[in-house]
Amino acid sequence: MIYNQKRGLILFSKFNKQIKTLFLDPAASPFEIEEDVNIVLSPTLYWVKKVSLPLKYVREVKPLLPSLFEDMLPDGIYSYSAYKVGDEFYIFAYEDKVIIETLNSKGILPTQVKNVHFAQSELAELEGAFKINETQSIYVKDEIVILVPCCWIEESGDLNIDSVSLSKHTISLKQFGHIINDKSLYTFATIFSLLIILVALEYFITLQKVSSTSELRDKLFIEHGLKSTMIQNRSMLGEYKTLHKTQTSLREAASYILSLKLLKEQKLTQLTMKGKKLIAAFSGVKKGDEVVVEKVLKSKKLQFISNFKNDTWYVEIAL
Amino acid sequence: MNRVNPIHIAILLIVVLGFFVMKLGSAKEELSQTKTLYQETLQLSTQLKGLSDVYSDKNGVKKSLGKILKHKSLRSCDIKKKTTNSSMLISSESINKPALNLLVGKLLNGSYHISSFKIKRLSDDKASFKMEIKW
Repeated sequence: MIYNQKRGLILFSKFNKQIKTLFLDPAASPFEIEEDVNIVLSPTLYWVKKVSLPLKYVREVKPLLPSLFEDMLPDGIYSYSAYKVGDEFYIFAYEDKVIIETLNSKGILPTQVKNVHFAQSELAELEGAFKINETQSIYVKDEIVILVPCCWIEESGDLNIDSVSLSKHTISLKQFGHIINDKSLYTFATIFSLLIILVALEYFITLQKVSSTSELRDKLFIEHGLKSTMIQNRSMLGEYKTLHKTQTSLREAASYILSLKLLKEQKLTQLTMKGKKLIAAFSGVKKGDEVVVEKVLKSKKLQFISNFKNDTWYVEIAL
Repeated sequence: MNRVNPIHIAILLIVVLGFFVMKLGSAKEELSQTKTLYQETLQLSTQLKGLSDVYSDKNGVKKSLGKILKHKSLRSCDIKKKTTNSSMLISSESINKPALNLLVGKLLNGSYHISSFKIKRLSDDKASFKMEIKW
């Protein structure tokens, strides 16, 4: 177990050693790095205030930060941060875009940056001045890390940032904060997410309706004993409709024939139905007299042909 | 660090929304087609059932014809009845005028599939009758 703990510590320290810490200052020379790094921001890259407020928690202070920096900051799109030490709050304002541009100008890709710290949170315990570039040094005055020209303090040492043990006070840089602010992004995302949810719900409800309508249709097939395909059913219906039409025509035509007012010597001798034809045979109809009957049949809009054969007059009606 | 480009988020949301809008469009179209098909099937099945009940109900037709032929005015007419699997042939060599009027009236006013018939005048009061009814 002791061995495992030691091994863990070794691995942890190795892992820690792999992440270098760099001091980011716009006036410093560019870096040549390939691995991930922690960044400590020079005071040039942020605005800091030490304030006493009648508030207990940092989360209560955060909404007030823009107003606490009001009229103090130059024009720009700022992000804010704060942490508490004792009864006092250290509050910060910084421009993400400026920091990211500085990172890029120093050869550091944003994807290589592990954590970003303020010099204030990491170097507040420094004693004396430390040179950070050719012209400037950092110096702690009244618990605030400030920049001073090198010439002000003659005894400036070089800053060994790697020896500093970093605190937990970090910030997240918003790479695209200048494109769209958080509020607009959240509003946009909320509206679109709601729309997506609504449309998706409507989609699933519609799918459910499709499914239930199909089930109802399947039930119809079972309840009415329909054939398995609509082509078969349509064909059957077509046959039934034709049959119904023929049967209706038969009854109409038969009723017209049976209700004809014939002369005394005229007789209906035969009425035959075969296929789609109704044939009536009349005796005692003199040539020329058939016109009267034909007129009646025409008035009923029947399609027929007539002819005489051996003193019998035949009328053939199409059904 | 916040490395997600908000434009990418916006595009993703728009793409997801567009995807669901397209899916919804096709689902709506499918629903419309399914409803149309259901209505067509309902109409077709109602018509089919009605017509088949009229013309293809074997037991119904047989029962109804049996009732007609049992009528007291027709009993004396020697009406013959021949039933096959798909039809019934009703015939009489000689049927009187009132009985013929009754029989023909009942058969033509009823909903039967009359496939053929022949009525031949024998005298002023008599006729021969033959009719085939299918189901």
